[in-house]
Amino acid sequence: MRESTTKSKESASTTAVLDAAGRAECEGHVERALELYVEAAASVELPPADLCLKIARCHDRLASYDQAFEWLARVVDVSDSFLHWSAAAAALGRLTMRARPPARTSCRVAVTGSYTTSQLASMLPLAGLRLGVDLSVHEGLYAQYQQDLIDPSSALYASDPKLILIAVHEGALQLPSFSETPEAEVARELRRWTELWERASSHAGAGVVQHTFALRPDAPLGHLSGGVPGSRYAMTEALNRELHRAAGESVAIVDCDRLAADFGRLRWFDDRYWFRSKQAVALEAVPMLARHTAAVMAARLGLARKCLVLDLDNTLWGGVVGEDGLEGIALGGEGAGEAFVAFQEYILELKERGVILAVASKNNEADAREVFERHPEMRLRLDDISVFEVNWEDKPASLRRIAETLGIGVDALVLADDNPAERQLVRRLLPEVDVIALPQEPAGYRRALSQYLGFESVAITAEDRSRSVQYRARAAAAELRSSAADIESFYRDLRMQAIVAPFDELRLPRIAQLVGKTNQFNLTTRRHGIAELRSFMTSDSHVTRHLELSDRLANHGLVAVLIGTVEDGVVDIDTFLMSCRVIGRTVEARMLAHLGAEAEQLGCHTLQGTYVPTAKNQIVSDLYERLGFRQIDADGDGVTRWEYDLRVRPIVNDFIEELRA
Amino acid sequence: MSEIHERLQQIARSVFYDDSLVLTESTKAADVAGWDSLAHVNFMYGVENEFGVQFSEAEFLGFEDVGGLERLLEEKLAQG
Repeated sequence: MRESTTKSKESASTTAVLDAAGRAECEGHVERALELYVEAAASVELPPADLCLKIARCHDRLASYDQAFEWLARVVDVSDSFLHWSAAAAALGRLTMRARPPARTSCRVAVTGSYTTSQLASMLPLAGLRLGVDLSVHEGLYAQYQQDLIDPSSALYASDPKLILIAVHEGALQLPSFSETPEAEVARELRRWTELWERASSHAGAGVVQHTFALRPDAPLGHLSGGVPGSRYAMTEALNRELHRAAGESVAIVDCDRLAADFGRLRWFDDRYWFRSKQAVALEAVPMLARHTAAVMAARLGLARKCLVLDLDNTLWGGVVGEDGLEGIALGGEGAGEAFVAFQEYILELKERGVILAVASKNNEADAREVFERHPEMRLRLDDISVFEVNWEDKPASLRRIAETLGIGVDALVLADDNPAERQLVRRLLPEVDVIALPQEPAGYRRALSQYLGFESVAITAEDRSRSVQYRARAAAAELRSSAADIESFYRDLRMQAIVAPFDELRLPRIAQLVGKTNQFNLTTRRHGIAELRSFMTSDSHVTRHLELSDRLANHGLVAVLIGTVEDGVVDIDTFLMSCRVIGRTVEARMLAHLGAEAEQLGCHTLQGTYVPTAKNQIVSDLYERLGFRQIDADGDGVTRWEYDLRVRPIVNDFIEELRA
Repeated sequence: MSEIHERLQQIARSVFYDDSLVLTESTKAADVAGWDSLAHVNFMYGVENEFGVQFSEAEFLGFEDVGGLERLLEEKLAQG
């Protein structure tokens, strides 16, 4: 009772503040209006979309563009409404004519399709903004996907896209309503799409994004449809499956059929708007489609989040262990206790697919550990948690330390916490961390996590599945490092072994993944596609090497990649990169020692290398210097060129033993 | 200003991202910058959603000006 009175009083005063703000804005007092809007927004954790839009507009008028971008991005989190997204997308369009948004990366996207894709094309940058990607979109003409993709001189290709989005619908399929030879029919249609992909791939550096075909709810065979292979319904199902299979590494799939089912097919297919203006996706579903498409693009651009950081009390179990005790917390059984178990089980599935888990909680460490070790209903075990930050420090400090221990950026972290105050603190002090707003009811936790899109990734590789183990080993190694008497004995204690070998077909997907996403330890950040990498592999004028590292704690898998060009007695390093999880292990020296020996075999006595600075790769700016290279050139953009004379002395590494492949 | 008029203006301001946009009864699509066929679809979709009505094909394009659309909405809302 008391609560509801307070609430209505609050909203009444908020309404008064909003009215005053509106008047101030009308009278041209934008700064005053902004103050009042922000005051109204401060009374809730996630301000409603209309208010976010108003605040963004004020910032736009006052030319504080970064804040305008930030408030527009918030619309994405609080609304799925077509009107809100239209307004925010339009606002973003105007804003980007004056300023570029602060972003983790930027990317030119070309959209080509089989229906009216204008709404999708205008909403993609908004969805991208939320994920930290500055997407500039070129939209092809209506329903021209075949011409756009087949004609090498098309305007689509001329826009020089890094990603090409093929946004198509079921109506674009060249499948009959019934076929006596469905397998041949599906194979022929699959070939048509994979041929389009091949053409698109050669023009898009970072790859192709393909929408699958949502199944129409209008199935003349009714419940027989799925069981009759010759029905268009069954053929479309089969084709979707084949597209997933054929996509491989160079094509990213957005599963529209799943989205349509989640949204409700009867609403997804809005025939009135199809006949009226060729909208194959109901306008109300376009924000969702834009959100998912942008998430897949962000993954392709190497922005997938890596680590889920979990709070404990009222997040993994109900109650406060420090007060309620081991027996008093709600976990297992029925009701809320069961919801916490379901949440933990989903978290475990995320871990299985490569998401690293960490804990950040204000608690007595012994109390917290006891739950993991002794509570019979706990699904998560201490083994599953790579970093366990349980203490009385503030969340941002714990989050920073987790990132440090794992050797990843703070922008690779995602926090799941039940406490709105903690979430606000993290949003304000560590905006790079993504925060999942868990709902009030534990029953909604699993859904909130499953609908979070930051963990979308390009592909699941065997490395992903064992990543958690490796990161835990890394955290153990970090502890070892602080106790080791000196760094050399630390390296020796690890008993590291490496296999260095040329690229091969089997490892090409993992190599392409590293080339596509490595930001920090990357000397030139050249994003070669898989086709290019394959051509280097078979070329006589290139040296390609990958390195697999293991130590006594873990097998780290394939962690470093090098490509060199061989010409006139010189091996020039085109690409040299390393996974950030093995930084500080002397892997770089092992790789170059190997390359040096290899170069001599080829009759080359000189190594050359280039450092191209980016926002992320400061860590390797002095790498060549540290390895004994001599600087031979520098330009105004910070690009430096380096040389190493192998005849003066060979490159050595005493800490990593090289095994024969 | 009628309530219907005010809500229409709000939708138009969203769709055209222009908060100073003022609709009068005699405003026609041609009077508003950016009111092309695509924007019309977005606008009318917004109107259908906001008022919980559905326009027939003829109604979708049939009105002359904002006043016409308001009368159409009044009729539809009266029919319940």
